Amino acid sequence: MNEITESQNQRSAAVSLRGISKFFDDVTAVDSVDLDIGDSEFFALLGPSGCGKTTTLRMIAGLEIPSAGSLQIFGEEVGSLPPNKRPVNTVFQNYALFPHMSVADNVAFGLKMRKIPKSEISTRVHEAISLVRMTGMEDRRPNQLSGGQQQRVALARALVNRPKVLLLDEPLAALDLKLRQEMQFELKQLQREVGITFVFVTHDQEEALALSDRIGVMNDGRLLQVGTPEEMYDAPIDRFVADFIGRSNFLNGTLESAEVVCLANGQRIRVPEVDAVSIGDEVQVSLRPERVMIGDLDSAPHDSAQLSGTVDTETFLGNSVVYRVALDWMTIEVEADHRPDVERYHAGDRVDLWWRDDAVAVVRP
Amino acid sequence: MKLGAAELKREREERRRGFFLALPSFAYMLLFFALPLVIVLIYSFATRTSTGSTALSDWNLDAYRKLGEPIVRNVVVRSVVLAVITTVICLVVAYPFAWFCAHQRPTVRNVLLIAVMIPFWTNFLVRNYAWRILLSKGGPISTFTEAIGLGEVDILFTKTAVVIGLVYAYLPFMILPLYASIDRLDRRLIEAGRDLYGSGPQTFRRIILPLTMPGVIAGSILVFVPSMGAYVTPELLGGGKETMLGSYIVTQFLTARNWPVGASLSFVLMTVMLISTVIYFRSGGRNL
Repeated sequence: MNEITESQNQRSAAVSLRGISKFFDDVTAVDSVDLDIGDSEFFALLGPSGCGKTTTLRMIAGLEIPSAGSLQIFGEEVGSLPPNKRPVNTVFQNYALFPHMSVADNVAFGLKMRKIPKSEISTRVHEAISLVRMTGMEDRRPNQLSGGQQQRVALARALVNRPKVLLLDEPLAALDLKLRQEMQFELKQLQREVGITFVFVTHDQEEALALSDRIGVMNDGRLLQVGTPEEMYDAPIDRFVADFIGRSNFLNGTLESAEVVCLANGQRIRVPEVDAVSIGDEVQVSLRPERVMIGDLDSAPHDSAQLSGTVDTETFLGNSVVYRVALDWMTIEVEADHRPDVERYHAGDRVDLWWRDDAVAVVRP
Repeated sequence: MKLGAAELKREREERRRGFFLALPSFAYMLLFFALPLVIVLIYSFATRTSTGSTALSDWNLDAYRKLGEPIVRNVVVRSVVLAVITTVICLVVAYPFAWFCAHQRPTVRNVLLIAVMIPFWTNFLVRNYAWRILLSKGGPISTFTEAIGLGEVDILFTKTAVVIGLVYAYLPFMILPLYASIDRLDRRLIEAGRDLYGSGPQTFRRIILPLTMPGVIAGSILVFVPSMGAYVTPELLGGGKETMLGSYIVTQFLTARNWPVGASLSFVLMTVMLISTVIYFRSGGRNL
């Protein structure tokens, strides 16, 4: 499986997975995943629930033992080590704070277990608590804290140990929208501040795009593609990826040559060069709604692809309008800016559509 | 906010209805529990006459003073020691079993929990007699140990036999509350403990044990209290040699005909149990 795009040239790998699989009875939760996560990288494992992302994270943490493959953390094979013998810490979903301990005792727990001298423990606990801006709350119990505060304590409890890799399992899922946006920002800042590799699991594509240096998209236990947020959005190689990150239209066709796809209606369009599929393969062309221009063919550059159809429905979204345009062989969604200088169309209008050759991506169907 | 007249009336009515529904159980408890208890309390301050009857006129604390005598003290010490041993053994045996149960599939778990309760379907006295046969000289256990070359075991009518009988009798009362609190334990807290460099034993001591403490305390009270007052088991398996509080109280009432002493001892025993239970509830346990 060398379909994974190694986008950035890796610094030394913090976490390295080779052919990692996990089977539960007869269910394959994770299917032969190869992945390198760089030092001090903010990496997101993105996918729908049940795609194996959490199981992958738990294998890195040591909470699950891989059924097959090799798992290294900074070059050291850790596949079968118990969690307490690994230089990683986890921020659990719903935080899993110890309810019978104060905030300070929660944060101190890892250091106490490692028999760090008392004086050092209290300095480091103090530092960690102030890092997450919870000073003054040391004596509270977890059940006296709000969701956001619990989240901070969970972060402090993990970071105080100075792990080589911090794992976060859906760290923001339990927070309400406003708090989540705030914490996103803080999390990103925190990661820059401490310079530790963060690996986080999420099903929220916006969160993944906003936070991470690189994203790995998983589905059905397989890692489909790895890349920077821009690469994942602009150049998905798999239909699932294009569909999961953002919205897209999918035009059926056949790859005729490295840069030409023959669409299902017989029309030939130019596409960016791809290597994930081979010539002659059935492919789909992923076309983002906001990259399709609507109206006036005169302004279209001569190297653009063109289609025409009839507006079927229009949905007003405030800053934009989404048109469903019926072609004679399929329907595609087009998103146009809503501005005084952009012409507005209505159901039944005959419209021309066009897009630049580099606005599309060819994906595996 | 102030309630309107109609709302107040409705609320009063509902409270009254609740009271009437609870009335039968109140009446029962009053008549058959509270009242006899008061009688016991009254008798504990009375005097035993030379003929063995009880004089309800001469009130004094003589019966309570008698509790300080060596004979009574020996019985109390023996009862406490045997009850503590029984409780500790029950705890050590029940905890792993309850843990195992809580980690099974629901069907397996139900079968196991029902198995725990099956002994209750047979009369308690009958089960004690069964133990007498099992433990007796020439009985199955003794025959087995002889056969494998360990020699004859003669433990009937010893403290060991009493403890075996008590552990057997009260083990379910330890298992069930332990199971309940282990089942309620959030597994992620254990994972968090391991993730934060806790070894297995450390995680048990710092996380699992404190969080299942309500079950441990509830189970311990449920085993310790009846063990202290046990009558049938010490009589049948201890052969009357290992007198425990229960037997001693019965003797005071029936044989020695010293009702004040029996009553005072009963009352002290009950008060001690009550106080320990209250302490448990105060400490935040809700598990009984």
